Amino acid sequence: MGNTLQGKVAIVTGAGRGIGRGVALKLADEGAWVLVNDLGVAVDGTGADRMAADLVVGEIRERNGAAIASYANVASMQAGQGMTDAVLQEWGRLDIVVCVAGILRDRMVYNLSEKDWDDVLNVHLKGTFSLVKSAATVFRQQRSGRIITFSSESGLLGNPGQAAYGAAKSGICGFTKNVAREVGPYGVTANCIVPRAYTRMLQGVPPEAHLFLERLHIQGLPFDPASPEAQAWHPDDVAPFVAFLSSDYAANINGCTFLVYGDTIGLFQDPRPLSTIYKGEGFFTLEELAAIVPGTLGRGLANPAPAQVSK
Amino acid sequence: MGLLQNRVAVVTGGGRGIGRAVALLMARHGARVLVNDTGTGLDGDGVDRSPADQVVQEIQAAGGVAAPSYHSVSSVEGGEKIVQDALNHFHTVDILVAAAGILRDRTVFDTTEEDWNALVGVHLKGTFSVVRAAARAMRGKAYGRIVTFTSAAGLYGTFGQAAYGAVKDGVAGFARVVARDLGRFGITVNCVAPRAETRMTASVPDDIMRQRQEVLGVPQPTPTSDGYPPEAVAHLVAFLCTDTAGDINGQLFYVAGGVVSLLSHPAVTRTVRKPSGGRWSVEELAVAFPLTLGVGLANPAPPRESP
Repeated sequence: MGNTLQGKVAIVTGAGRGIGRGVALKLADEGAWVLVNDLGVAVDGTGADRMAADLVVGEIRERNGAAIASYANVASMQAGQGMTDAVLQEWGRLDIVVCVAGILRDRMVYNLSEKDWDDVLNVHLKGTFSLVKSAATVFRQQRSGRIITFSSESGLLGNPGQAAYGAAKSGICGFTKNVAREVGPYGVTANCIVPRAYTRMLQGVPPEAHLFLERLHIQGLPFDPASPEAQAWHPDDVAPFVAFLSSDYAANINGCTFLVYGDTIGLFQDPRPLSTIYKGEGFFTLEELAAIVPGTLGRGLANPAPAQVSK
Repeated sequence: MGLLQNRVAVVTGGGRGIGRAVALLMARHGARVLVNDTGTGLDGDGVDRSPADQVVQEIQAAGGVAAPSYHSVSSVEGGEKIVQDALNHFHTVDILVAAAGILRDRTVFDTTEEDWNALVGVHLKGTFSVVRAAARAMRGKAYGRIVTFTSAAGLYGTFGQAAYGAVKDGVAGFARVVARDLGRFGITVNCVAPRAETRMTASVPDDIMRQRQEVLGVPQPTPTSDGYPPEAVAHLVAFLCTDTAGDINGQLFYVAGGVVSLLSHPAVTRTVRKPSGGRWSVEELAVAFPLTLGVGLANPAPPRESP
């Protein structure tokens, strides 16, 4: 229990389960009043169950916190405005929005249907835009506020089989960097979290993604819920850093992307030039590039998925 | 002549700007080109067959081979129709350059749902739709070259392009994933962040443009009489579609006139762990952050005094 968010009002989407649940509980523990949004869907976005949000609201109230539930599907503009209006009506202010709601539909790109694409993009990317837009308008007027969005290593590094998810998650990162520059002058911050947490979402990650990460010597996603990694990546471990970013301590942290898992916080660096070729006059022609690039920019580049000789 | 001899290339947004330069250059190097363009205004409104037709005529007048295609990229069906146009005309697809794009510069406060849907539809879904259809055609023959387009607005963030930045960073993430989906079939997927003078950048004020480019951190070439022609971008794109570039997959490039950079992907450069292990508290982070990750961290848009 703490009081670093005393008197603040927060909206957390996808707060019924997993990382969102941990964030909602933590923000409430730090004194914030929380709108707990969750449609209560399965990992693939199907179904609906009000119990998901209700249980977290109940848990917060049991701990003497204040919370209300929202069952809105975040994937519409009305949802963001509706949640914003709901907290303004209930508590008269809004200070923090945390966009965690997400679904997963893993397919290789050539097998990905239009519906899967649309559903994933709508929940993640439009769902983030919807709430951020309505909240940013309130924040601009009161000249304070915190926006926290969720990206993924799937989009920033590239996991096979996750074209829609990776596009949406990388898009959220780009969106947040832009929003940060637009809301910053008003004393508002926007930052992006890249979490590692063992939730029900990870259980659907395709084996190819695990193998790919292993090849890159990136600590792989744990397969086995009983494994030490899975134990070490508890979804609730993400919440303290979100609470920190939401607090007055973090007033000048803006436009950043953070990796968060277990006891670790990492700072992402935007793409940097690794090597550059220059031409004083005009530009490099195709023939020149074909001659120069293999020995310069292209030297030592590893193909992340080399061609396999077909039998 | 001949680096792309007999290859079949599909170029979306091939009627104007960078797409047009790519289509013309590839045809000059022996490729048969499907020039796809709906001929919309910069904001995505309206339809006009003449941009695609004119590029096709230009290619044919120079002795090259090309055919027009007018379908919108913004649906899976549209992507399939575009690739089918190429199959109908040229019987195969070797190269896909997904250059179709529109611009609606607005801050997050002013971006409407319609703006959002249009930008996501053309850039992000429009890249997916043609990549999906082309991948299906390329997979069977174990050869393919795909180039997609991102932007400094997406990679670094800027002011007034919230939705555009979202979709352009989305394309970069999409390309990273798809490079891994398709690499084993001998298909490469790369992503280019271009700086070029087109009608798209002509709509952006000079000082904003300069700010946007400065964040890149690469020394900018002295503007010559050539400036930043779309042709400079086209040459890099065409190179990525040659046989020579067969092992360049899943990479991110920047090109501006006479400057070409290989960019890193986002990467964690600094980490901090709780010394005693276990879960941080907010108070612990408040102490530890400024001394560790917070060192040298600048707010890109610090609070302004109230007017």
